[in-house]
Amino acid sequence: MNRKPAQETGNKLWCVGCMVITVVLFFTVSAQAMSGRDVYEKVHQVRSRMLDRKTEASMALFDKGGGKRTRTLTEYSKKADPEAYKVLVVFNSPPDLKGVGFLMYAHTFADRDLWAYFPEYRRIRRIPVTSQDDSFFGSDFSYDDFGGPPNLDDYKFSILREDNFDGKPCYVVEVTPKIRRKYTRYVAWVAKDLWIHLKIDYYQDKEIYRAGVFRNIRIVDGIATPFKLDMENRKTGHRTELTVESIKYHTNFPDELFTQRSLERGGR
Amino acid sequence: MSIANLLRHISSKHVRFQKAQTFMSIAGICLGVAAIVSIGIVNKSILRSFEDSFINSTGRAALQVTGAQSGFPEAILEKVQTVPGVEYAVPVVETDGLLSKGKERSMMILGVDVLVDSQVRSYSLAEEDADIPDPLLFLAKPDSILVTRTMADREGIKIDQKIAVETVQGTREFRVRGILNPEGPAKVMGGNLALMDIYAAQLAFGKEGRIDRVDVSLLRGEKLETVKQRIEAALPAGYTVETPIGRTRQIESMLSNFQTGLDLVSFFAIIVGMYLIYNAVSISIVRRRKEIGILRALGATRGQVMRLFLGETLFISIIASALGVGLGILFAESIVGILGKIISQMYVRTAVTGISITWQYPVLGIVCGVVASLAAAVLPVLAGSRISPVSAIRSVPWSEEGFLTGRRLNTASATCILLAAAVFCLYRYADWTPLFRSTSFLFSSQLFLLLGMSLFMPTFLKGFISLFHRLPLLRHNSMGMLAGLNLRKNLNRNAVAVAAIFFGISVFVNSAGYVHSSKESVMTWLDAVVRADIIVSDGHPSSSTNAQTVPMPLDMWQDIEKVPGVLSADPWRKLYMDYNGNRVLLSIIDMVRRAEYSHFMVTKGDEKKLLGQLARRDNVVVSEPFASRFRVGPGDTITLPTPTGLVRFGVSAVVVDYLYDNGTVYLDLDTFQRHWGDKLADQFSVRVKPGENIVQVRDAIQKKLGGNRKLFVLPVQEFKDEIRKTMDQTFIFNYALSVVTMAIACFGIIVTLLASVLERTREIGILRSIGMLRRQVSGVVVLESILMGIAGGILGCLAGIVTGWINLEGAFRANYSSAAEYFIPYGSILWALIMSAGLSALAGIYPARRAAKTDVVEALTYE
Repeated sequence: MNRKPAQETGNKLWCVGCMVITVVLFFTVSAQAMSGRDVYEKVHQVRSRMLDRKTEASMALFDKGGGKRTRTLTEYSKKADPEAYKVLVVFNSPPDLKGVGFLMYAHTFADRDLWAYFPEYRRIRRIPVTSQDDSFFGSDFSYDDFGGPPNLDDYKFSILREDNFDGKPCYVVEVTPKIRRKYTRYVAWVAKDLWIHLKIDYYQDKEIYRAGVFRNIRIVDGIATPFKLDMENRKTGHRTELTVESIKYHTNFPDELFTQRSLERGGR
Repeated sequence: MSIANLLRHISSKHVRFQKAQTFMSIAGICLGVAAIVSIGIVNKSILRSFEDSFINSTGRAALQVTGAQSGFPEAILEKVQTVPGVEYAVPVVETDGLLSKGKERSMMILGVDVLVDSQVRSYSLAEEDADIPDPLLFLAKPDSILVTRTMADREGIKIDQKIAVETVQGTREFRVRGILNPEGPAKVMGGNLALMDIYAAQLAFGKEGRIDRVDVSLLRGEKLETVKQRIEAALPAGYTVETPIGRTRQIESMLSNFQTGLDLVSFFAIIVGMYLIYNAVSISIVRRRKEIGILRALGATRGQVMRLFLGETLFISIIASALGVGLGILFAESIVGILGKIISQMYVRTAVTGISITWQYPVLGIVCGVVASLAAAVLPVLAGSRISPVSAIRSVPWSEEGFLTGRRLNTASATCILLAAAVFCLYRYADWTPLFRSTSFLFSSQLFLLLGMSLFMPTFLKGFISLFHRLPLLRHNSMGMLAGLNLRKNLNRNAVAVAAIFFGISVFVNSAGYVHSSKESVMTWLDAVVRADIIVSDGHPSSSTNAQTVPMPLDMWQDIEKVPGVLSADPWRKLYMDYNGNRVLLSIIDMVRRAEYSHFMVTKGDEKKLLGQLARRDNVVVSEPFASRFRVGPGDTITLPTPTGLVRFGVSAVVVDYLYDNGTVYLDLDTFQRHWGDKLADQFSVRVKPGENIVQVRDAIQKKLGGNRKLFVLPVQEFKDEIRKTMDQTFIFNYALSVVTMAIACFGIIVTLLASVLERTREIGILRSIGMLRRQVSGVVVLESILMGIAGGILGCLAGIVTGWINLEGAFRANYSSAAEYFIPYGSILWALIMSAGLSALAGIYPARRAAKTDVVEALTYE
C-alpha cells in the first residue's frame, strides 16, 4: 500500500518532468526555428502599424567639438493599401529652417519617391532614391530612417545570437542588403517581445560607420514606441538626438496632406 | 692610341687650362637646354593643372554635356537623365566670382545640386570630407557658400563669417557655412574655389533656370561610346558630349598657338647656343693645330682626330645639358605663375600652383643639348681633321679660306635665302594643305633666312672692315687700324661670334617689329570701333576677352542713362561657344544704337546695307580670322549652337577684329536675346552729352552704380591705355627671348675675343715692348668687340625687319587673314644698335683686361 502512493507520486513526477521537458523543448525548438527573416516579418508588422501617425519631435545635433544645434519638426505619415505609405516631415524651428520639408511617397515598399522643399528658393527638389542612405537634412539619420519598413525581399537576414540590451531580451540580427547601399550590412538588436529596434550598427565593410540606440520605450495606442533616438556617425564624431515630444497613432490623415502642394505649404 | 687615352691625356688638359672658354661653352648650351626644359615643363604643368581640375571636378562622371557659355535650359538635364545607360546626370553651374574685399582674389564658383551630387563627385556634405556644422542651413539659405580649406587658410576665412562676393546683382554677402577639405572638387583650381548649391548659384549669377554643364556617370557595363552617341541623339544639335580628358584636349588645342610660341623661344635659345659651340670648337681646333699635326704624325687617323674633338664636345655638352636641366627646373618654378596668369587673362582660367616634372622634358633637354652641340661641332671638327700634319707642325698659318669659306659659303648662303623665300611663298599662298599652314613651317622660313644670312657673315664682315678702314677718322688711328686687322685675321671665327650677335639682334628686332605692328594695328582698330567716351565694365579692361568677369544685368543701361550728363549707354555681351570644334567668341552689341557713333572696319561686304541686315535679323558679321578659318564670306550662312538648338545665320560682312584670334561673330542684341534668352552685359559704352565733363560724368556713374558692385568706369583714353598695358604683358616672352639670345651671344663674343687674345699673346708682347700702353692694348680689344657688335647689329636689324614682317604676315595675314600692317620699329632698331655695340663693349672688357695684363717677357717667349 505504502509503495503505491510512492509509485504514483513517482509516475506523476515523471509525467511533470516529461511535460516540463516537452514544454522547454517546444519553446527551445520554436525559438530556434525562428529565422532572421521571421524576426523581421514581425518588425515589419510593427513598423507598418506605426505608419499612421503624427509626431512632434525635437532634434539636437552635436558636432565633435561639443557644439549643439536644435530644431523641432512635425512628422505625418499615412499607410495606404496594400503596402504603400506616405511621409511628410516639416521643420518648425529655428526660424531659418521653418517650412523646410521632406516628402516620401512609397508606391511599394521597394519603390519610393523623395522630395525636399526649401521655402527661400520656393522650389521642390527631387532626391534620388539612391540618396536614401544619405544624411537626412544634415542629421545623422538617413532619409531611409524616416521611411516605412523596408522591402524584406531586398535583404538577407540571419540571427547572430540572443542578447540583452537595456534589460530587454533581444535577437541580434545581421541584415545584408542584396542591392547596393551605402552600408554593406547592419546588425540590429530587436526586442523579442516588442519587435522594435533597440540598437543598430551600420557597417561599411568591417567598420561601424553609423550607430543608433533607441530608448525610453513607451506603449502608445498599443504600439511600442521609442521616445529617444540617438544616432552617431562614427566617422565624423557627429551625433543626433531625436526626442519625441508627442505622438499620436491612427490619425488617418487625408491624402491631400501628402502632396507637393502641401509640402510647399508646410503641411497645411 | 685609344680615344679614351686621347681624351684622358689631351682633352682633359685643355679643359683645365681653358676654363673661361669651357665655362662659356657650357653656359651657352646650359641656357639653351634650360629654356627647352623650363618651357616644356611649364607647358606640361599648365595642361596638367587643367587635367587635374577636370578630373577633380568631375569625379565619377565619364561624360560631360556642355552647350553655349550662357548656359542651357534645365530641361536638357531631364533628357540626359532618361537616356538608357546613364546612371546619374547631375547639373553644374560654373562661373567666376571675385572676393570683393581683401586681395580681391578671383575664384571659380561651382554650383552643384548637393542633394544629388555626391552620387557623382567624391564628397558629401555630412561626411568627413567637409567641415559643415549645419548642412541643412547650407541647403536652406541662398546666401550659403562653402570655401576650400586652402582658400580659408589663405584669406583667413572662418565658418559663419560673411564674405563679400561680386555677383550679377552686385556685391553680395555670403555666409561661409562650411569648409571643404582638399579632396575631389575642392582641389580644383588649386583650391581657389567656392561651392554653392546650384539654385543659389543660379540666383546669384543670373542663371535662373539654366545650367552650364551636365556631368554623367554610366551604369556598370555600359560602353562609353554607345552612351555618348545615345545622349547626342537625345539632345538638340549644338551640344557637346565629351569625356573630361577630351575637354583637356580642347584646352590644349586652344592654347596650341601660345605654347608653340613658347617652344620657339627655347628653340631660338638652343640655336644661339649652337653658334657658341661652333665657335668654341673652331677656336679649340685653331689653337691646337700644332697638337693635331703631332697626333697625325704619330699615326692618329683623321677619324681619331674627329672622334677626339667630338668626344670633348660630347663630354662638355653632357655636363652643360645636365646643368641646363637643373637650371630649367628652377626657371620653370619661377615663371609658371606668370605664365598661368597670362593664360588666365588671355584664354581660360587656370590656377597652376606648381610644376609637375616628368622625365620627358629633362630627357628632351639633354638630347637636344647633346645633339645640337655635336651638330654645331661637326663642321669645325671636319675642318680640323683635314689639317695636314706637315703644315701644322711647321706652324704654317692655317688658311682661313679652307673648308666652308669663300664662294662655297656664299652659294650656301644664297641657297638658304632662296629656300626661305620658297618656304614662305608656300606658307602664304599654298594653303590647300595644313602642312604648309603650320607655325613650324613658317618658322622654318625664318630659320633658313637667318642661316643664310649667318653664312653670308664672313663676306659681310670683310666688307664691313674695309668700309671701317676707309673712315677718315680711323684711317690715321693706330688702334682702329689694329682692331680692323685683327678682325680680318680670323675672319671665319670672328664671323661666327658676329653671327651670334646677329642672331640675338635679329630676334630682338623681329620681336619689336611684331609687337609694335600688332599693337599699332590693334590700337588703330580700337580707335575705329571704340568711339564712346566712357567704358563701364564688370572687370578690369584687360579682361575684355577673358573669362574672369562677373556680368551685369542688361537693364543697367537704363540706370546709367539716368546719370546726369550721360547721352546714351549701350551694352556689350561676350560669350564663348563651340563652333565646328573650335572655341569662338560671340560678341553682342545693339546694332542700331552702336551705328549712331561707331562703325565696323569692313573688309568684305556692303557697309551701307549692314545696319538693315543686322538689326533684329538672323544675320551676323564675322571677323577676318573667323572668315579665314571657316572659309565663309558675305552671302554664306553659318549655323550656330544656341540653347534651344542650332540656328542658321546669314553672313553679312567680314570685318577687321582683334578681339579673339580664333574668330569673332557679331550679333545684334535683339537677335541674341531671342535665341539665347540671356539678359546680361559685360560692358557698357557710354556717350557723354556735348559740353559735359567726362571725368565728372565718370565720377557720377561710379557714385551711383559703383556702390554695391565692383565697377570699372574709365574714360575711353584710360581704357585704351589699360589695353595697351595688357598687350605689353602678353608680349613678355618675346622680350624674354631677346634677353636670353643676347646673353648667349655675349658669351660668344667673350669666348672669341679670349681666344683671339691668347692667340696673339706674342704679338701683344711685341706691341707692348715697342711702347704700346696697357690701356691701348685693352682699347684695341674692346674696339674689336664693338666692331663685331656693330657688324652683327646692322645685319641683325636687317634680318629682324624681314623676319618680323614674315612673322606678322604669317601670323596675321595668312593665318588669321587680318589686315595687320607692318611698322618698322625705328626706336627699337636704334636701341638694338646701341645695345649690340654696348653689350659687345661690355663683353670685350674681360678679354681686354686679360690682354692688358700680358707680361711682356713671357709674351715674347710665347710659342
